Amino acid sequence: MDAQEEAGLDLLSDGLLDWQDLFRPLAERSDGLTARPLTRFLDTNTFYRALLVDGEPRLREPIPAPGLPEGRWVATVPAPFALSQAARGEASAAALAANVLAPQIEAYAEAGCALVVLSDPFLAREGGAVEAVASLRELPRTVPLVLQLPFGDAARVLDALADAPGIAAVGIDFYATSADAVPDDYPKEIVAGVVDARSSALESPEELARFAESLVQRNSAGVSLSMNGDLQFVPEPVAREKILRLGRARALLAEGVPA
Amino acid sequence: MSSVRFTTREIGSLGKPSWRVKAFAGRPLDEDDVREAERWGKKLEVEDYERLLEVLYLGTVGEAERPEIDDWAARYAIRLLEKVGLDVVYDGEQRRTEMYDHVASFAHGFEPRGTVRSFDNKYYAKATVVERPWAEGAQDVEELRFVAAHTERPVKVPLTGAYTMEDWSYDEHYAREGALGGSAKRRFEARRQFVEDVAERVIRPNVVGLIDAGADWIQIDEPAATTKPDEVPLVVLGFNAALRDVGAAKRSMHICFSDYRALWPDVLELEDCLELQLEFANRDSRELGTRDEDRPGYADTLRLFAEHGYPGVGLGVLDIHSDFIEPPELVRDRILYAVDVLGDPTRIQVNPDCGLRTRSWDVVYEKLAAMVAGAGLAEDVLNTAHAGAG
Repeated sequence: MDAQEEAGLDLLSDGLLDWQDLFRPLAERSDGLTARPLTRFLDTNTFYRALLVDGEPRLREPIPAPGLPEGRWVATVPAPFALSQAARGEASAAALAANVLAPQIEAYAEAGCALVVLSDPFLAREGGAVEAVASLRELPRTVPLVLQLPFGDAARVLDALADAPGIAAVGIDFYATSADAVPDDYPKEIVAGVVDARSSALESPEELARFAESLVQRNSAGVSLSMNGDLQFVPEPVAREKILRLGRARALLAEGVPA
Repeated sequence: MSSVRFTTREIGSLGKPSWRVKAFAGRPLDEDDVREAERWGKKLEVEDYERLLEVLYLGTVGEAERPEIDDWAARYAIRLLEKVGLDVVYDGEQRRTEMYDHVASFAHGFEPRGTVRSFDNKYYAKATVVERPWAEGAQDVEELRFVAAHTERPVKVPLTGAYTMEDWSYDEHYAREGALGGSAKRRFEARRQFVEDVAERVIRPNVVGLIDAGADWIQIDEPAATTKPDEVPLVVLGFNAALRDVGAAKRSMHICFSDYRALWPDVLELEDCLELQLEFANRDSRELGTRDEDRPGYADTLRLFAEHGYPGVGLGVLDIHSDFIEPPELVRDRILYAVDVLGDPTRIQVNPDCGLRTRSWDVVYEKLAAMVAGAGLAEDVLNTAHAGAG
């Protein structure tokens, strides 16, 4: 939290420090879902427990909200399609959206959450945009939603997400997605993943700001700056420095980017 | 027809005894550590284990005594693998920190960056590449010589593969420039060059030295093999570049916790690969049976082996992330199912899913003993059937 405050970030995250992986906390608080087989998470050397479906999945008790300043914090949960993929498709994205994620998002909204990030690490890789987009209709609109596509080339799904219901912004990993893949004046706000959460190399704030400015000029719906995924993939000291550099890039963008 | 016989072996790592861990961490030893060394020394019939106890009774182990402690840990591990009845053994990687750091801390061109989580509360040290990696000579020759001098059984040397070294490293050299918003083609080329350099300049010198020292089986460990399905050709490139023209030795590849569908057809290009040793049990049912529906962890992948006819399969029959002791009958049924799908028992050998370093030695002992017993049960079934048919 101190690192994020020091960097001047607009929205704060609790870092999901007590989450074993993106799916297990929800599974442990839901009927019908059991986290068991150790399964590789994407193309990383990290693993999650895939979900076994042994009944109709339904959130029994929401995950408590972190004690963060009201209206200034961001929550992250798996997108419905991602949760379905973690359950190997044995529960539909729409059902998981309606019965597991919707009550969780409502609980976060009531606790003062400013933004909910729906993290979908599978969509950009596996496809399935039709099911993914349809499932979003089941989610509440009481808090802005961002559909983030970490560690994947978003090019193949950007068209399908242009009219995704209830989604205020799309998060794009620009270390896996070419800048040219984003059409000019894309109708959704872009949350630009400009800090590489999987690399120890420290980004230049000036380079980030220049890249962001080029996006701003092409996208009137707006551009926010972020990591391209969770910072758990780098050691803590590296993560702290990356947060600071993201903050500096944001400040440079606001002040005017040096040539 | 000759009788069916399944070769049994470990994949690589075993947990390190508490006395070995404390000795290298500079922590004091207590009576429990000595008792454990004594208990296992007796159980495994380790020759002269009383000499180890004399060292441990001193309570602290200095830097000068650490090589001796390493030797004892290796002796104990070799005896454990022999005692449970494995056909092929090694030393449980007792001298290695872990598979990635072992190589990264030896080769030039890597710098440590810290620890990151792998899963649950398991963390590993991760380095970054800062220049073209290279190694001065063979890393593991002395380790091999010690093992060979302390067992009569065949040995198999596990080596971390070039692709996994690349994939598990940060890259501050090959991908340094133009990463933000860059093309997929550029990213792929950076990774290809990284893999090729590790294979030719780090792994290959080790393999050459090991084979010169008498190694007759090199196992390349590539747990990262399918993490980026489009890069399986780089896994193949790394294997072939490390092993091409190095002399006569069996070569195989171990892969685990991966989407095996991505491996074919590229793995058909692995040169002289005896087998792929894969993790299956982790994703399987614990119920007995040899029907498709009884063996969900095996069915799809074994069909790929059957369809493509190459290479052989090292059948993972033990879940290494659970203390559940697989009954020999469950091991038997997993093997018999594999025989049924492949139609050729000679393409199948038997091993745990992966290294057993996260399990206690008590659990490891029981699991491996059950594996050997299960392989024997499967052999009995098949040989009885053949005898009956003959």
